[in-house]
Amino acid sequence: MSDRDLDLYNQVLEGDKGALEELYDKYEKLLYSFAYKSCGQKEMAEEVMQEVFIKVWTQKATYDSSKGKFSSWILSVTRFTSIDIVRKKENQNYSLEEERDTLHQEEPSAEDLAEWKEQGEIVREAVKQLSEEQNKIIQLFYFKGLTQREIASSCNLSLGTVKGRIRLALKHLRKELSNIKEKGGVGDA
Amino acid sequence: MHEQCDQLIDYFNGLLSEEEEREFEKHLKSCENCQEEWAELTELTEDLPYAAEPVEPPEGMKDRVLAGVFAEEQSDQAEKEAPASFEKAKETKREAQASSYTQSESPKPKRWLAPALAAALFLSLAGNLYTILQEEEPPDTITTDGIDQVLQSVQLEGTGSATASIVEQKDTNTLVVNANQLANLEGEQVYQVWLIKEGKPYRAGSFVPNQNGDGAVTYSLDKLQNQGKWDQIAISKEPDATSKEPQGEVILSSKL
Repeated sequence: MSDRDLDLYNQVLEGDKGALEELYDKYEKLLYSFAYKSCGQKEMAEEVMQEVFIKVWTQKATYDSSKGKFSSWILSVTRFTSIDIVRKKENQNYSLEEERDTLHQEEPSAEDLAEWKEQGEIVREAVKQLSEEQNKIIQLFYFKGLTQREIASSCNLSLGTVKGRIRLALKHLRKELSNIKEKGGVGDA
Repeated sequence: MHEQCDQLIDYFNGLLSEEEEREFEKHLKSCENCQEEWAELTELTEDLPYAAEPVEPPEGMKDRVLAGVFAEEQSDQAEKEAPASFEKAKETKREAQASSYTQSESPKPKRWLAPALAAALFLSLAGNLYTILQEEEPPDTITTDGIDQVLQSVQLEGTGSATASIVEQKDTNTLVVNANQLANLEGEQVYQVWLIKEGKPYRAGSFVPNQNGDGAVTYSLDKLQNQGKWDQIAISKEPDATSKEPQGEVILSSKL
């Protein structure tokens, strides 16, 4: 599966529009949903999609297969792009609260990425097991991409404790994930 | 623990200034603790994107996005990494960071930056020249390519000289600024373009001039929330590309 990604990516480097379109189709919904979770607004999420694929096409961002899976790479490009776009809007006094869209949310359909389908449910279930504070710090740090200082003030923590709390929350999440996987997935409990 | 270890979170999120990031990467090379924590953060967050609840993309997004993508030149090797502006240069670097930290490769050599930036500015200037030439036609005439049209064009006054045009391209408006005889900048300084409405400044692109004092920037006005008429345009010299409001002196301005 990931070999197919690499083949397609190499074709994109050669200027193959069809290959870019195939990658787009494959990742559209995952990347859009991820960007939407970060931005909370559909126009911005679309702007993120535009930027991400421009970066791939113009090679402003380049993938190196020795450093991991294509999917991890394109997800991280999407995360950085989301953080950047949200911060640029904030510079213009854009308020996330006011304009948060509510989009119809659903489960991934059969055509969606197998990885997402398998993992999504497990990861969301694991996130539910976290305390409210731990959930919040992960949202602010990972999805919203706030600075350490912003996280500190938002969570009423001293600057020095933020990193430790994030690591603790992520480790707790990892533990919940492996618990769920050991039990053989969601719903078997 | 070293004081810099506290910057790991902001580094991970790509939120450090360029200089801070350079310094931090230097630190990262020698700090085993940070290397471990960085690897741990990367590993622990690997599954998190899949936590995003699936949402249906808006209708027609694929066509819009791909049209936008293929409108971009897939540049050849020489221009490949040319950032279109100072901010773009920062983004490029973040993407490099996204591809994960390895001791052997980091920090990336930045030698390409200066000539690439000059190349980008040259391309940008060539584009502006085209726009300016088109302005001499009667205002209602659509350019021969059939898409671009100048809605408004002003001459900015102050130290140096600059022209600003608002160009309509399909449904989007782009601000094109072309400046000459600008003073050289130092360190991370940039020239920042501002659009002002009712006394409130909005960022509208930043640039650095080449050694001849020529600089240019294009900025999509669709990025701005305020889509109405603007009162004023100004260019100021800023300490870096992140100023939310003008901090440095305004060197050129005009009413719109």
